[in-house]
Amino acid sequence: MTFGYILSIATFASIYAILILGLNILTGYTKQVSLGHAAFFAIGAYTQALLITKAGLTFWSALPLTILLSMIIGVVMGLPSLRVSDDFLVLTTIGLNFIVMGITEYFDFFGGAMGIIGITMPTIGGKSIGTTGYFLITLSFLLLTICICYLFSKTWGRLAMEATGEDEDAAQSLGINTSIYKMYAFALSSTFTGLAGVLWAHSIGSVFPRNFSFEMSVLFLSMLVFGGLGTIRGAVFGAFVLYILPEFFRFIENYRMLVYGGMLAMIVILQPNGILGRGGLLDRCILRLVKKKAETQEIS
Amino acid sequence: MRRFLCIVMVLMFVLCGLLSVDAMAQETVKIGFITPLTGFAAADGYSSLESAKLAVDYVNEHGGINGKKLELISYDDGCQPDQASALTRKLIENDKVAVVISGSYSSPSRAAAVICQQAKVPFTSTYAVHPSIVEAGEYCHRIGMAAPIQGRVGGYFAARELGAKRIALLIMNNDFGVSLAEAFKETALKLGAEIVYEKKYPLGETEFRSYLNAIKAADPDLLYAPGYYNEAANIVSQAREVGLRCWLMGDEGYDSPKFIELAKTAANGVFITTDLNRDSDRPMTRYFLEKYKERTNIDADMVGASGFDAVMLVSHILNKVGTKADDIIRYWDTIENFEDCATGPIITFQERSAIRPMDIQIVLNNQFRYFYRYYEPEIIYLNPPSGGK
Amino acid sequence: MLQVLLDAIVLGCSYALMAVGLNMVYGLLRIIHVAHAALYTLGAYVGLYCLLNLSQSLWISLFVGALFSAIVGVLMYRIIYSPALTAPRYVPLIAGAGVFIASQELFRLLAGPYPYSFDAHFQFLSIMTPNLRVTETQMLMITFMVVAFLCLFILINKTNLGLMWRACTQDMELAASSGININLIIAINFMIGSALAGSAGILMALYRNSVFPTMGAMVSYKAFVVIVLGGFGSIPGAAIAGIILAIAESFLGMVPIFNLPREAIAFLVMILVLMFKPKGLFGR
Repeated sequence: MTFGYILSIATFASIYAILILGLNILTGYTKQVSLGHAAFFAIGAYTQALLITKAGLTFWSALPLTILLSMIIGVVMGLPSLRVSDDFLVLTTIGLNFIVMGITEYFDFFGGAMGIIGITMPTIGGKSIGTTGYFLITLSFLLLTICICYLFSKTWGRLAMEATGEDEDAAQSLGINTSIYKMYAFALSSTFTGLAGVLWAHSIGSVFPRNFSFEMSVLFLSMLVFGGLGTIRGAVFGAFVLYILPEFFRFIENYRMLVYGGMLAMIVILQPNGILGRGGLLDRCILRLVKKKAETQEIS
Repeated sequence: MRRFLCIVMVLMFVLCGLLSVDAMAQETVKIGFITPLTGFAAADGYSSLESAKLAVDYVNEHGGINGKKLELISYDDGCQPDQASALTRKLIENDKVAVVISGSYSSPSRAAAVICQQAKVPFTSTYAVHPSIVEAGEYCHRIGMAAPIQGRVGGYFAARELGAKRIALLIMNNDFGVSLAEAFKETALKLGAEIVYEKKYPLGETEFRSYLNAIKAADPDLLYAPGYYNEAANIVSQAREVGLRCWLMGDEGYDSPKFIELAKTAANGVFITTDLNRDSDRPMTRYFLEKYKERTNIDADMVGASGFDAVMLVSHILNKVGTKADDIIRYWDTIENFEDCATGPIITFQERSAIRPMDIQIVLNNQFRYFYRYYEPEIIYLNPPSGGK
Repeated sequence: MLQVLLDAIVLGCSYALMAVGLNMVYGLLRIIHVAHAALYTLGAYVGLYCLLNLSQSLWISLFVGALFSAIVGVLMYRIIYSPALTAPRYVPLIAGAGVFIASQELFRLLAGPYPYSFDAHFQFLSIMTPNLRVTETQMLMITFMVVAFLCLFILINKTNLGLMWRACTQDMELAASSGININLIIAINFMIGSALAGSAGILMALYRNSVFPTMGAMVSYKAFVVIVLGGFGSIPGAAIAGIILAIAESFLGMVPIFNLPREAIAFLVMILVLMFKPKGLFGR
């Protein structure tokens, strides 16, 4: 009965989880705070929309191209990070968000203000898939992304990125080419974000410039920080909780964004590492639970 | 262990929240309504929702739907398409509404329309103009005016009635402004006018003096500036300030008492194309205008009127044919001369968009006044009927 | 042309007033104060309330609005920012964003979603010639900005308080160890910045004749651009950059081929400047 609704919420939450995992690589590992991630999101969604409606490709044939293009454009958009850092970079990313939105809104090639309509649902073997099918596709992409992120977090690359994030000069003195790793982070991040954009575009069926506004970027960064910067579990958790939370506040419809904003501020201040980040509230709870379990098992 | 229990309880609570199903749902006929109550579009959402509630009260006072009460279930989409699409699913599956009405902007309306088309539930948008909304399929209708018609009416009035030869365009860059401007331009050019200036500005812009100075230099007879009242109030008052002396013309987005309040005396003399005639003596229009003022303490606007009309029309259909989707749709396309609405009578539906006589109103003495009405089929029909010429 | 320039300068004044408050906070605490825009809206609403309910005078509503914003600004620092100062840099950023979202909703709930008219009557200078027009409101804005900046300049460069403030911006710990009450300085800093934001809100409400819940959003993005162009932490830089940005926007907006919205132009200019001068135009 409420199946479709829950599925649809879960689909969007999964899409955002993929995006936040991408943001996590950039902001969590290399500490390059991006307040313009909606721009990268828009690039994925728009590229896919254009490939489908103008070039007539299908979901599956357009997907690899879109991801490749997202990655390339992401690296290009990341180039300013070689010149500026810290707060200047934050503002540069905000700027990128507005510029991308302005371009999509003002150039007819990108549909302009009328947006791009008619991004059909993907098909498998000529058969159209329903909501459930699309959820499964999204979920499998999410699992794939988690796997890749997990594997990546075990590599030397992640260590180098974290070192770059902690102290760029020190990292350089250790022989890490920080420029390469910054770009590497932008590339990975925009790849995942582009993937999320593709999935989002298909599930809505249309894209409009205003769907990728600065408010979305704020939401994305909030999701990541809420869950726990620099951790995979935190990224996924943050995306799910912050996307689903306003839905629970539906019974106080009129006040829900007020509560949401206030809670966001409180939680970030009280739990700066995120609820599920290292040393976060839930993280400690779970650790304690696990420990207790281990103890009881030992006793028995 | 206790902590584990706590977590389980929280999860249970959460699930209950999600699955909350009304047990006594069968006594009423439900219609769903999605509208932005939070975010930048909150003002339009509020007008729309209050008017819809007003219409529901009216229907229930007059016998309801075949003896059953009409119930409006509304959700806030925050003007986000992903929320609109999830909420539409919720309305259809959880609340089991007979019809979904969108009192939201084009992007969320389009997302909702697609879901309704898939689920084969009748859908109607109120004031969203994007052509793709009704193109989603045969289950999707539009109560408001289609942009091509309104732009065309504006073009006829400017070029034929006012005789403007040199026209400047200042267009709000969203689907509303752009689609109106396209139709206006086509008509005006056909009628022999010339476009001397054209500029797009983004939603939320407040400073127009640099554009208006350029427009003044271009010396037009008329400035057509499709947009919403917030921006329009700034355009109009700044146009008077820079000393632009030409006709000013707007659209139904201006049609709100707030426009006059914000633009003050500068609003006087501005023409708008709309379908809400405040000088009308039709009982439904008077009822809407008076009750809305009583309910909310502010004067009604066009957005509200189309929300009201949507509920009135839907309840009329439900009364006639019951709640089966296919019957509703079949009947919907045959409706003719529907009078129980706040805007001009709906003559018919063409390409699933409402067709009605179009009004030109002028602001005089800080009030919208009736000025001119178009009945000609080649102007007010989406595709003029054959032989109508 | 002169007219366009003049209108742009007036617009620039509003940018500058916003940016200065933002930059003062940045200079002292190194946080990007997103919730600054909430104070702008707050000032406008309080001013409006005053005008409708307490007195017809613009001056009183301007004073009350600025005062109210100043108090709330200090409270905001005590409640939101001061616990987050030791945390990583993004924490105050997000906390500020949360407060900003909540504040917009609060204004909407308290005052309704519709825009209000800010209908104040006042007497002031104006210039009205066929070629050049400066309305009373425009004149008021320019005057206010000049007076505010002169006061601020004197306060910072000629008084003991200013000396202490400058010491704090150089090195907070060193300043504290030499006996400066840094909490007081930060509080005063927030007070002045917030009062400027609040009065900017009222002046813009008067200029645009509208007050609505989301009026702060656009201005806050603009203020970010201004502080980057002017150099983080530099007050005269912010003032000059605000006006330069408004002029650039107005004139670039008139060029037909440059078909981008104002915000995109502003940020494009900002990124280009950053590429060549990563510390801003007037940054140290």
